Amino acid sequence: MTVSPREPAAAKPRVPRGPVLPWVSRQALVGLVVVVALAAAWPALLHPSAYQKNLVTLTFLYICTALAWNWLGGYLGQVSFGHSAMFGVGGFVSARILLSVHVPFAWAWIGGGIVAGLYALLWGHPTLRLRGPYFSIATIGVGEASRLVFTYWEWFTGGSSGLSLPIESGLKARLYWWGLGLLAIMVCASYALRKSSLGLGLLAIKSDVEAAADVGISPTFYQDLVLFLSGLAVGVTGAFYASYFSYIEPGDMFGFVQSISFVLMSVIGGVGTIVGPVLGAIVFVVLRESLIASYPQLYLGLYGILLVVIILFEPLGLMGLFFRIGKLTGLVRPQVVAKAAPGGTGAVRE
Amino acid sequence: MIEHLLDLTVSAFLLAGLYATMAYGLGLIYGVLRVVNLNHGGMIMAGAYAAWWAHDQFGLDPYLSIPIILVLAFLVGVLTYAGLVRRLPRGAAGGVQSLLLLFGVWLILRNIAYLLFTGNDQTLRTSYSTKALSLANASISVNRVAVFFIALAILLFLHLLLRKTYLGKAIRAVAQNPDSCTLVGIPIERIYALTFGIGTALAAAGGLLGATLFPFSPSFGSAELLKSFVVVVLGGLGSIAGTAIAALILAMVEIFSILIPGFPVYLTAAVGFVLLVLVLVLRPGGLFGQRVLG
Repeated sequence: MTVSPREPAAAKPRVPRGPVLPWVSRQALVGLVVVVALAAAWPALLHPSAYQKNLVTLTFLYICTALAWNWLGGYLGQVSFGHSAMFGVGGFVSARILLSVHVPFAWAWIGGGIVAGLYALLWGHPTLRLRGPYFSIATIGVGEASRLVFTYWEWFTGGSSGLSLPIESGLKARLYWWGLGLLAIMVCASYALRKSSLGLGLLAIKSDVEAAADVGISPTFYQDLVLFLSGLAVGVTGAFYASYFSYIEPGDMFGFVQSISFVLMSVIGGVGTIVGPVLGAIVFVVLRESLIASYPQLYLGLYGILLVVIILFEPLGLMGLFFRIGKLTGLVRPQVVAKAAPGGTGAVRE
Repeated sequence: MIEHLLDLTVSAFLLAGLYATMAYGLGLIYGVLRVVNLNHGGMIMAGAYAAWWAHDQFGLDPYLSIPIILVLAFLVGVLTYAGLVRRLPRGAAGGVQSLLLLFGVWLILRNIAYLLFTGNDQTLRTSYSTKALSLANASISVNRVAVFFIALAILLFLHLLLRKTYLGKAIRAVAQNPDSCTLVGIPIERIYALTFGIGTALAAAGGLLGATLFPFSPSFGSAELLKSFVVVVLGGLGSIAGTAIAALILAMVEIFSILIPGFPVYLTAAVGFVLLVLVLVLRPGGLFGQRVLG
């Protein structure tokens, strides 16, 4: 991230330099580096079992999807219940690429991501005229329609029997590192997006579309752009998912459950923040492995209860809880709270 | 060919009654509370199962169970409002919260239905399910006709309620300006609760009527929610005529889509969505100029 400030030998008058990227807060950078370093050292230091390592790989994957969903649902405030559409498109396009040409899987992932981003634009450009709940209902339709179309489109997706990817030995172990890398990229991208003029524009649109348009922020362009980026990122994670399981079928990839899990992870952690979706995804995976594996018939209801309880008592999820404790103990300054989730889900109550 | 067209037109009309009933509940709640009831789909499903269960257990005719189910669903709606929706902030900031909350309620309802009735498709069979009327060479199922007239009766009742009674006047007043209503002594909390109850009851009635025509499972209701939504966007809020015309347009487009050669039947479910996109692109304000979006 930071370039080492070594000066060339030629004597130039030394100008005092500021930080290389002035908008990057030092705490955030240090935090990210420490977390990534810990995650990188973990397999070598503690020798986890293959199961544990795979579980962590899957957690990386889910963190990335949660962050990508959050760009649209958190920064822009447009809650999508149809992100499985891009997840599935990314997965199937990359699977088809891997099955037809011999390229490294990373290229197939990027290909899948780009197609998924374009697919998001295809349905998103008209539907993003809708705001709030209406957009959300339309996305339920997008998810359902995509699932139907891709399930019946057998020559592309293999129908309900799905597709098997070429198997590479030792791929799962390597995917740990790819997952970690993707995670680092997604966290940096989320941070950059949040700090950039694009991110500020999104927050402005979330607060008031018309006022944003009045100060020269084109809602159409900004919304389309962030939807494309979000779709692209979710598509790449879908492709990752395909490589990870080396078998995919439309009912799972395009399933309503996938879409719900993207929403739920962000809501558990804290919509609109960066740490929130990361924590939410971790909690989600732990919850799923411990509870839902033993009671598979109850998972929808559990997700529902979680949503209801969180929204009623702490709309900003774990981050809200953290801020509340911080406020009580005086450890977190109120400005930090306001900065972390401007607008939030309307979490800052008057 | 002409007879075939006539046949299809009649079935579109009959289907439109069902769509209008379901959509009006969604539109009413949004118009008055400015909350989109995502649990609409859940209540449609619940209505279908309630009718099926009453018929299965007690042999109660689904059409006779309508009053009971309407009352029960009304109570569920009032309780949902008093227990959950009332606690949320309303307006722009609260939109996302109420959306997620009601979505959660829907998931819980779905899970309960899975536990009680399994995920298999159910059908509501009565002695007259297969009977048909013949009308100018075309035969029309008795059920479809019954559903149409019951839907018509419900909508007419609602129209009279909203236009001719004091309660209806109060509901319309709250929809226009809640703040002024408190000034003239309208108990807006009670009006909100009643409206939520009426909207929920309409969803359950729609589900019941749908169950007599189509097979259903715990995920029944999500396609119906989308259809209701398309109708609300097309027809605007507040006018029963607008809702009816929009419902008719949706039903027509769905039914006539099978005339397109090579059109796969499974895509009928996506027709509503395509129509929605077209409306959004061509006439974002809806057909009758009453903007729902914004």
